[in-house]
Amino acid sequence: METAGKTTEQSPSPAISALAMRYLVLAALIVIASLGFGFANENFFSLANIGILLRSISVLFIVSMAMTFVMLTGGIDLSVGSNVAFAGGVGVIALTATGSAPVGFLAAILAGMSIGLINGIFVGRMKLSAFMVTLATFALARGLALVIYDADSINVSNAIFLWLGGTSWGNVPVVIPFVVLVFAVLSVVLYRTTFGRDVYAAGANFKTAFVLGRRPERTLVWVYILSGALAGLSAIITVGRVSSGQPWAGLYLEFDAITAVILGGTSLFGGRGRLFGTILGVLLYGIIINGLVLTGTNPYLQSLIKGAILLSVVLLDSWTQRGKQR
Amino acid sequence: MTHRIDMTGIGKSFFATRALDDVDFSCVAGEVHALVGLNGAGKSTLMKVLGGAIERDQGRIEMDGRDVAITGPADARAIGVAMIHQEYSLIDELTVYDNIFLGRELHRKGTPFLNKAEMARRVRAELKRFGLSLDPGRLVRDLNSGEKQIVEIMRALMSEAWLIVMDEPTSALSEGDKERLFHFIRRMKSEGVAIIYISHHMPEIFGIAERVTVMRDGRIVLSERTTDTTEEAVISSMSGSELDDFVKPHKAAEGEILLSVRNVSKTATYHDVSFDLRQGEILMLTGLRGCGAPELAKTVFGLDDGYRGDIAYRDVRLKPGRGPAAAVRDGMGLVTENRDTNGILAPLSVRDNIALPFLEKSLSFGLIDNTRIERLVDRAIRDTSAKTSSPSQEIRFLSGGNKQKICFSRWLDRDLELLVLLEPTRGIDVHAKADIYRIIEELAERGVGLLILSYEIDEVVMLADRVITFYEGRSISEYVHPHFDKDRMLADIAGTGPEQAA
Repeated sequence: METAGKTTEQSPSPAISALAMRYLVLAALIVIASLGFGFANENFFSLANIGILLRSISVLFIVSMAMTFVMLTGGIDLSVGSNVAFAGGVGVIALTATGSAPVGFLAAILAGMSIGLINGIFVGRMKLSAFMVTLATFALARGLALVIYDADSINVSNAIFLWLGGTSWGNVPVVIPFVVLVFAVLSVVLYRTTFGRDVYAAGANFKTAFVLGRRPERTLVWVYILSGALAGLSAIITVGRVSSGQPWAGLYLEFDAITAVILGGTSLFGGRGRLFGTILGVLLYGIIINGLVLTGTNPYLQSLIKGAILLSVVLLDSWTQRGKQR
Repeated sequence: MTHRIDMTGIGKSFFATRALDDVDFSCVAGEVHALVGLNGAGKSTLMKVLGGAIERDQGRIEMDGRDVAITGPADARAIGVAMIHQEYSLIDELTVYDNIFLGRELHRKGTPFLNKAEMARRVRAELKRFGLSLDPGRLVRDLNSGEKQIVEIMRALMSEAWLIVMDEPTSALSEGDKERLFHFIRRMKSEGVAIIYISHHMPEIFGIAERVTVMRDGRIVLSERTTDTTEEAVISSMSGSELDDFVKPHKAAEGEILLSVRNVSKTATYHDVSFDLRQGEILMLTGLRGCGAPELAKTVFGLDDGYRGDIAYRDVRLKPGRGPAAAVRDGMGLVTENRDTNGILAPLSVRDNIALPFLEKSLSFGLIDNTRIERLVDRAIRDTSAKTSSPSQEIRFLSGGNKQKICFSRWLDRDLELLVLLEPTRGIDVHAKADIYRIIEELAERGVGLLILSYEIDEVVMLADRVITFYEGRSISEYVHPHFDKDRMLADIAGTGPEQAA
C-alpha cells in the first residue's frame, strides 16, 4: 500500500486524465451512434428531429443532474420518477383549483421538495440506507399520485403552465435553452458554493467531513430536497409536453437517470464525478434509445437494451476502478 | 511431553530499517513468558515471524530441538502455535461451539448432519477442565469481550495448540473479566500450555509470568525470570537512555489559559480529569492504549458528549453535544489518529482536502473565490513541505507522511487557537516526523495551544512543555519541562507509579 503510494506519487495525477479520457470516449460514442442512426434513417439529422430528441430527453437531463448531486454524496434517489408524477399532480390540481399558473408551479415544486425532505431526513439525519428510504418513497409518491389523480389523467389548457414544456421557437423547443440554464446554475452551485464542495466531501468521506465541521448530515438533507425540487420542475415540463397531468408520468425515470449518471463517470461510491459527464451520459443514452425508436427497432427490446447498457457500464467501471486501486 | 520453542538469531529488515536484530527467544510449555517493549521495539514483528505472518531473513526456529520451517500461518498452526489478537475472529451469529468447531465440525456417524450435542458436550468438558463456566450454546453476539476472548482461546486449545500468543489481552476487559482471564491462564499453565504474553502492565506481568523479556530497537535488552528482576529494572530497560541527551530549550508557560478542563468523567472511559492548557503551550497526554486519553481529547473537540464535568474554552463553558462544526468555528482543529478512515477524503484532490475548512473564509459575493483558495492551498503545501505533484492530484496517491501533512495543513491559518492531535506521527517515516515536529513547534511559537495524545514516550519527552500520564482513565501525574523523568512516566502508564503503589 505504502510502496504503491510512493511509486505513483511521481506520475501526474491519473484521475484527471482518466476523467478526460472518459469524456473523449463518450463524445466519440455519441458521434458514432449519431452517424450510425443517421445512415439508417435520413430523418435522424433533421433539425426537427434533433429538437424532438432533445425535448424528449430534457426531463432526463434535469433529473440526471439532480441524481448526480445525490450520487456524489454516495447516495441514490429512486423516488424521482414517482415524484415527477406526484409533484405534477399537485401542480395540476393547484392550477385547476386556483386558475393561477404561478400557484401551480409553486405547488409542483414544493410537492417535489417535500418528498425530497422526507428522503433527506431519513437518509441524512437518521442515517438510514438511501436505497431503502427512496425505494419506500418511490412507492409512496406513486401511490400518492394515483390517489390525487384518482388514477386518471387531468387535461391542462393553461398556456402559461404549458409554455415551458410545450412551446417551440421555430425548431427549438423552449425547454432546451432552459436545460442549459439549469446546467449553468447547477454548475455554479456544485463548483463555486460551499454547499457544492460539501456535497463532494460528504460522499468522499462522511466521517472526515463531520470531523472537519462540515455538517454532512445537513448537506444530505439539502441534496435530497434539491433532487425533489428538480423533480417538481421536471413535472412541470412533463405536463407541458403532453398538455395533461398523468398519474403514470416519470415511469422508469430513476432507472434512466441512474444509468446516464453512471455512464457519465460518476462513482457509485460518492465523491467522484462531474455534471458535464452526466450531460454526455444523457446525450449518449438518449441518442441510443431515440435512435432505436426511429430505426423501428422492436419497442419490446428497449428495456432489454437499457439493462444491457447499465450492466456493461457497471462492469467496465469496476474493471477500470480495480486497475486504479492498487 | 513438554514442548518448547527456541528462536535463535532471528533477523528481519524492512528496507533500511532493522526491525529484528539477532533475537533469541524461547518459550516452554507450562510457563508464561511476558514480552515487553515500546511501540516499534520489534515485539509484534517477532510474533509475526513466529506466527508465519512474515518471513524472517535470518535465524532458526526449533521445536523440541528440531528445526521447523514456518513460511506461513498454516505452518505455525500445524505445530501448535496460536495467535489471539485484539480483534476477535469469531462469527457473531453462530454459537460458541459452532465457532470452536468451525471448519472441522463433528457429524453424526455416516450422515451429513451435524452432531451438535456432541460438539456442545466436548466444549463443555474442555471449559470445565480449565475451570470455566460458559454455556456452549450461547450466540457469540451475546457474549462480552472477556467471554469472546475465552472462546477464541478455547478454539485454539481444542485445535491442538499448545503455545498461545496473547497481544495486550486485558486492554478491553473489565476488572472481573481480567481476574477470570488470569485464573484461566494459571489453569492453562498447569495443563502444560505455553503462553507468550505481550503487555505493558507491570502488575500483570509480575503477577502471572515466569519470564520477562524486554525488546528495544529490534534487540533483546533484558531477559530474566520474574523472580530475579524488578519492575523498575524492566521499565528502565524499556526506555534506554540514548535519547535523553536531547534538551529542548526551556520556555516559560506564560500565555493566557485557553482551555480549562475540570473534573471531567465519562463512564468506563476517563474519570475525574482536570487540567489547563495555555496559549502557546504543548501539552501531551500519554498512556497505554485504552487509557482514556484519546477519548478525552476528542471530547474537547466536541466529538463526544456523554461526559460529566466542565470544559471551558476561552473562559466560556462548552456545551456538551455542540459538535465539531462549533469547535471549528471557535478556532479549534483536530488531526485524527486514523488518517485513512477519518482524516482524508480519499477520492478528492489535495486542493479540496486542504480547502474544506477554509471555504467560508474564501467567499466573495457568496461564491468560492478560486484564486484565494489556490493561494491558500499553495501556502499550506509549502508550509508543511508536503510532496505532491500538483494540488489537483488525488490525495490517496500520496504516502502516509504526506497525507498526514495535508491533514495538518488544513488548520494552519491565522484563526487557529487550539489544535488537538491524536498520535500525530503514527505510521509515518522519520523525515515526515521531523517536519511534523517542526510544524508543531512553529504553531506553539505563534501562540496556538496544542493538546497532543501520543503513545510514543520518546516523542512525548522531546516535544512537550508539559506531560500528563494516564492509566486506566485516570490522570496519574503531571510533569513540567525540563523536569521529565521517562522512567517514572513509564511506571505511571504501566500502573506502578509511586502514587499508584498504595
